[in-house]
Amino acid sequence: MCVGVPMQITEINYPSGVAEAKGVKREIGLQLMPEDTLQIGDHVIVHVGFAIEKIDRELADEIWDTLDEVLQMMDEEEKGA
Amino acid sequence: MNKTQDIIKAIHSLVPPDRNLKIMNVCGSHEHTISFSGMRSLMPENLELIPGPGCPVCVCPESDIIHAIQLSKKEEVVLVTYGDMVRVPSKKGSIRTDGINFRIITSPSEAIRIAESEPDRTIVFFSIGFETTTAPTAAILETGIPDNLFILSSHRLTPTIMEVLVKDREIGIDGFVCPGHVSAIVGSNAWNVFSEKYNIPTVVAGFEADNLLLGIMEILLQVKEGEFRTTNVYSGVVRPEGNEQARKLLDKYFKVSDVNWRGIGHIPASGLELREAFSDRDARKLFKLEEIREEKIPGCICGNVVLGKAYPADCRLFKKSCSPKSPQGPCMVSGEGSCNIWYKTYK
Ligand code: SF4
Repeated sequence: MCVGVPMQITEINYPSGVAEAKGVKREIGLQLMPEDTLQIGDHVIVHVGFAIEKIDRELADEIWDTLDEVLQMMDEEEKGA
Repeated sequence: MNKTQDIIKAIHSLVPPDRNLKIMNVCGSHEHTISFSGMRSLMPENLELIPGPGCPVCVCPESDIIHAIQLSKKEEVVLVTYGDMVRVPSKKGSIRTDGINFRIITSPSEAIRIAESEPDRTIVFFSIGFETTTAPTAAILETGIPDNLFILSSHRLTPTIMEVLVKDREIGIDGFVCPGHVSAIVGSNAWNVFSEKYNIPTVVAGFEADNLLLGIMEILLQVKEGEFRTTNVYSGVVRPEGNEQARKLLDKYFKVSDVNWRGIGHIPASGLELREAFSDRDARKLFKLEEIREEKIPGCICGNVVLGKAYPADCRLFKKSCSPKSPQGPCMVSGEGSCNIWYKTYK
């Protein structure tokens, strides 16, 4: 529930927008970020459908590497359980 | 030698040989990384990495869960909440087993969509969590919610519970690894109180193993130097002042209140309720919900696990009658709960 995922903003219709991660697009809320700080192409951390902070691309990739590992481990655990 | 090995080596050389140290993490995702990476087994023997109150699902009062179940039984109501919450046990069952009209949502925005598509029903959003989920609930209130949508707020404040832990001598915390994304909202400055007032080395770290290890190393460095500060090793995400807009919205819609924590008890000024000005959106007021006395779950020591006074493996039900498929206590339900994480990793 509390896991934040990095996504890239593809559309802005403030106070909402669309962001993408791993080829999946999702409508997100942008109310927690000032409008003038956001641009299409920005990477943000998204919690329960809301962008909470901007991050750079490199960090977004690093976080995804960790998340991928965790998700894979959880998957294996589930299959094994 | 790679970076990880370098940091682990530094951790070993920094740990004082003559004392036992306890470093607490306050985030389910940190505990996840620590447990799944096997990090504990790489630490010096006298350094304990203890999980703390990083799981909001685990501390949500039984009373609120029972209210949520009961509300979902009203014909005119649809209860909406996050997936983990429907599986949390109470003496009246769980929302999943005993609730009737309920839906799982992944975002507060979905609560709005449900309310718009069912205008004749009363939608109750059972909104729980720490600052990372409170801010999004404040965000939908800012945009405006439909007249038939009400909030059952069971939000909790991370810094307050940490202060309770610090004052508890039995736990004896020597360092805090503060939650990365909660810090993105509240800012790394929010933790200065621990290093400045209580002389506890404090770091803000991310969820990647190397970053966490770096945080642990920084804590040990402070122990060695005897100089205490709050260091942010997750500065790509966390700013000293946090997310000001999110904090403003939090403050606009919520006020601090005295609340119960499951398995722990009453803690003054540790929760958030809707402000008077928005009380017409408050499900507690609409349905006149009164606190229901919590009943201890026989054998479950979840409260002590959350407080860092016990490990999941200390519980006699752990991996016996209590499992993620059949959780006896709240700490086994969510992927952020220590018992759930340990179930998958503890050998
Ligand atoms: S293993 Fe189950 S019963 Fe024991 S403390 Fe954890 S949640 Fe409670």
